[in-house]
Amino acid sequence: MDSRESLRIAVRSIRAHKLRSALTVIGVVIGIASVITFATFGASVQAEIVGDIGDSSAGNIYVFGTPEDEEGFERAFQPVFTESDVDRLGEIEGVEAVLPRGIVQVGSVRQGNETLARQQVTATTPASITPNSVVSGRTFTPGENEIVVNERMAESFSQNLTAGSTLTMVLPDGEEREVTVTGVVNGTRGELPVGQFARQPRIYAPVDPFYESVVESPSAGVRQRAYPQVTVVADPRGIPDTKAAIEAFLAESDARQLSASDTELVARSGSDFVDSISDVIEQITRFVTGIGVISLVVGAIGIANVMLVSVTERTREIGIMKAVGARNRDVMGVFLIEAGLLGTLGSVLGVPLGLLVGFGATRYADVGFALAVDWMVLAVVVGIVVGVVAGLYPAWRAARVDPIDALRHE
Amino acid sequence: MSETAGTSTPDPDATVVVESVTKQYAAGTTVTALDDVSLSLPRGSYTAIMGPSGSGKSTLLNLVGGLDTPSAGRVTVDGHEVSAESEAERAAIRGTEIGFVFQTFNLMPRLTAVENVALPLVFDGWSRAERRQRARELLDDVGLGDRLDHVPSELSGGQRQRVAIARALAPDPALILADEPTGNVDTETGATILDIFDDLHAAGNTILVVTHERHVAECAERIVHVEDGHIRKVEELGEETDG
Repeated sequence: MDSRESLRIAVRSIRAHKLRSALTVIGVVIGIASVITFATFGASVQAEIVGDIGDSSAGNIYVFGTPEDEEGFERAFQPVFTESDVDRLGEIEGVEAVLPRGIVQVGSVRQGNETLARQQVTATTPASITPNSVVSGRTFTPGENEIVVNERMAESFSQNLTAGSTLTMVLPDGEEREVTVTGVVNGTRGELPVGQFARQPRIYAPVDPFYESVVESPSAGVRQRAYPQVTVVADPRGIPDTKAAIEAFLAESDARQLSASDTELVARSGSDFVDSISDVIEQITRFVTGIGVISLVVGAIGIANVMLVSVTERTREIGIMKAVGARNRDVMGVFLIEAGLLGTLGSVLGVPLGLLVGFGATRYADVGFALAVDWMVLAVVVGIVVGVVAGLYPAWRAARVDPIDALRHE
Repeated sequence: MSETAGTSTPDPDATVVVESVTKQYAAGTTVTALDDVSLSLPRGSYTAIMGPSGSGKSTLLNLVGGLDTPSAGRVTVDGHEVSAESEAERAAIRGTEIGFVFQTFNLMPRLTAVENVALPLVFDGWSRAERRQRARELLDDVGLGDRLDHVPSELSGGQRQRVAIARALAPDPALILADEPTGNVDTETGATILDIFDDLHAAGNTILVVTHERHVAECAERIVHVEDGHIRKVEELGEETDG
């Protein structure tokens, strides 16, 4: 039989029962929409993070301590990486730069009579500020009371900060210090990927004269600055080897001796972060797909139910079709196409709904919107398959209808 | 009174040959609807089957129409041994060799007149353009050229029956089977329908009508009286024979 004719009959039948058909496909719509929502959101978050890590920080290896039992997160950021460690990391083959990063808690930051309370200043070296991240001005000079700010920070005062602005900082020991803003940047080189993701206002200052955390270096025997986290910039082509060399060094570093024995010192490359975030997204996607599958099963039962009702209602029509030459498989085709059409309708409505909700979620989470095209294609295919599978039994029942009884059917 | 009628040795050129057909149903006890019935419809003949309800006349119609298979005996329509074919083959024979006209019209409710008439051609694999062309011509012939795109609910009873007749003619069948074709229309419309059957007969079609109304049966060339699963009498009109 001409399948376009089956399609025409199916469309007429669905149109004749608009409300019933709409209610029937809701299960499929919800299933498809939930999967598409999270596939889209997952793809968007992934694209955002991969984009962040991919461009500017492909060669970054982040070195920090993390407690083995995963508890007491604050201990992870103990200042244990000494200046000696920083120097020795710089000697490892494949390492291009070592960027120490420390946090200075500042009581307040003041411009004129405007005050921002409780700010964090990231103390680092000028190498963290790459030329192409500078929006305006220049980087700070070590040893000077100079700072750079990111764009969010620059907009935090009623009068935007620009190169040359002066601020008053109240340091942890109560000392007030006049500082000069030398530049505005859109991020730094050594930042952890999750830090970039948050897009908070930030201030960057040279280690000297802002960072005061000192410990006695076990290897050098003198008191040195020590940092909770160090970012190693390595040749992107040799990341695995460099990472292994760093891990080997960490076992004999000052940081090892200064850390509690249950603290693990780790080196993580950008792709490690991508992997771990992808794992989380994948787990969420799998969970939501599970919910989607349950919803699709419910939807399939709904379609099967309505198709069985339809077969009973249209017994006479089946008889007519058989009387004028329809074979059992022609009758089966008519009902399978109708069920498949209901499934298709569900996925065609579910995909845009899922995209809409997914788009809302990306706006809410402040990440760029990315399409999960493979999931959209899969969703439509799954919708059709769900409809056809749900229609198999009703269609088989229809095909078995005895034409003589059917023609007598009222 | 003879148990069999028409020719006792089957006419090889007849459109329909029913040979010693028995049909039994298992409904608790075995019910014999037809008992060793033989009948032949020559090409171009116009035959009426009369009988009270439960006589077996509907069973005979279903067997000739390929909707049912006999328990014993053979049914041949235009050379096809319907009783021996598979379900799919019988469906194909119904679609191409037999045109059904029913008492209750039996049109597809959501298809237009043209689509209803074209329906048998769908299963016979005609292209959409050819089907529609053929359907338009047939609807024109039965006087419904201005109702092509109306669905059955927008048509009167007589118009619906004319659509059904056009549908029966669509595949150019060897046999037209009509089951109480005037049963659901008023007398005047019924007369129009019987006129159409006369025209079809005149054009050379083989027609078998099942009815319980004498005046409908009298339009045919002969009347086969069925009772209790047997053919009681074949009445050649104009020249009545008994047995």
